[in-house]
Amino acid sequence: MAGFEILDPTVEPRKQPLTYVPRPDSLKGKRIGLIENTKFNSDNLLVRIGEILKNEYGVAECKMWRKHNSSVPAHEEIIEEARRGVDCIVAGIGD
Amino acid sequence: MTTQLTSKRYVVEDLSHAIEFCYQQGWTDGLPVVPPTEQAVRAMLDAAGLEPDKEVCFITNRQVAVSAEKIAVNAVMAGCLPEHMPVVVAAVEALADPKWGYHGPAASTGGAAVLMIVNGPIAGRLGFNSGDNLFGPGWRSNATTGRAVRLVMRNVIGTMPGALDRGTVGHPGKYSYVIAENEAESPWTPLHVQRGFKAEQSAVTVLAAEGPHQFYNQLSSTAKGVLTSLCDDMKHHGSTNGQPQYVVVLAGEHMRTIANDGWSKADIQKFVYENTQNPVAHIKRVERLAGTVTPQDETTMRPLVASSEDVLVVAAGGRAGAFSCYIPGWAGGKKSSQSVTKLIQDRRI
Repeated sequence: MAGFEILDPTVEPRKQPLTYVPRPDSLKGKRIGLIENTKFNSDNLLVRIGEILKNEYGVAECKMWRKHNSSVPAHEEIIEEARRGVDCIVAGIGD
Repeated sequence: MTTQLTSKRYVVEDLSHAIEFCYQQGWTDGLPVVPPTEQAVRAMLDAAGLEPDKEVCFITNRQVAVSAEKIAVNAVMAGCLPEHMPVVVAAVEALADPKWGYHGPAASTGGAAVLMIVNGPIAGRLGFNSGDNLFGPGWRSNATTGRAVRLVMRNVIGTMPGALDRGTVGHPGKYSYVIAENEAESPWTPLHVQRGFKAEQSAVTVLAAEGPHQFYNQLSSTAKGVLTSLCDDMKHHGSTNGQPQYVVVLAGEHMRTIANDGWSKADIQKFVYENTQNPVAHIKRVERLAGTVTPQDETTMRPLVASSEDVLVVAAGGRAGAFSCYIPGWAGGKKSSQSVTKLIQDRRI
């Protein structure tokens, strides 16, 4: 048939493999990084989470970093320091 | 132009079915779109001098490459004329600039739209409105170029309302939010020239922005009087919460009053910067800043923006009426998003 042909305006996002670091069997003795996203009370929330991780899960120490802003990824300095200094990271939106 | 278009093709019965088909696929902003045929898309690309496979930009946050072909398809859908294509391309390039920082302003609950300010000869040539009813309907260039950018965000970059566009209230500028500076009547240096371009070049400035906040002053015949009213409103507006930049749009009467006092854009910027500061104590008392009020807070002033240059002044709006407006940028600070100006290029040369 004659029909009316139109073009698709959408695209598929570029596919990329996502690789997860193996989860630790236990948090006992581990060093935990806490990424604070600058939202109000997110620091308090993460401090509390850190306390729970220490008291209930045997975490050895926690270190907190503050992002530049909640809408941007953790900056390179955080990534570098975390890579060298911690075993696991807790990150998320505190809002 | 011979390069094959690679977009998937759909065949429907006729024009009206095509319009409904676009709705069914979730490709529209809620208004009907112009069905994108190959002929129309090719005309769009030809007018901009772009091959369809040209990667105009890459949105890192979304891992999406935005091709000229996809911009052209969406520009057709938005109702653009082929000669609008370079404006749309420049604006999309601006969105991909790290300074604009796509993820935050596109996805935020803050609900920013993409304000586009067009400067240079192209504004007059294509009939961009810079006068009466500045933000209102009625001008194809203003209505369709901004709409095209939003459709690219939706259809190409995946900024879907309710998914990766989580604006809590948003605003109507998300349909289209485009103005031109009234360079013909402005006594001041055009915005794009302030930002390093030549007057004879055309450019578009893009800012993630709230809606326009109108203010009124019919009493004063001085620059200071008009701008005092502006600042009184501006420093108490709803989102004084780390806006990186503001646009102050001065319309005919106010523009003439201020210019008659010999004030330059720099004078306006300085006055607005200095007179929109709030005591920290006030911001805490009205529950916009955490913490108890300290004696020091009573005398510590908090500016709206980091410097006077973060107040962008634009001459635009109708000749009559004692109204102008200011537009807050999207809250997030300059490390999250700030305005970007891009050259509108004619690549056919």
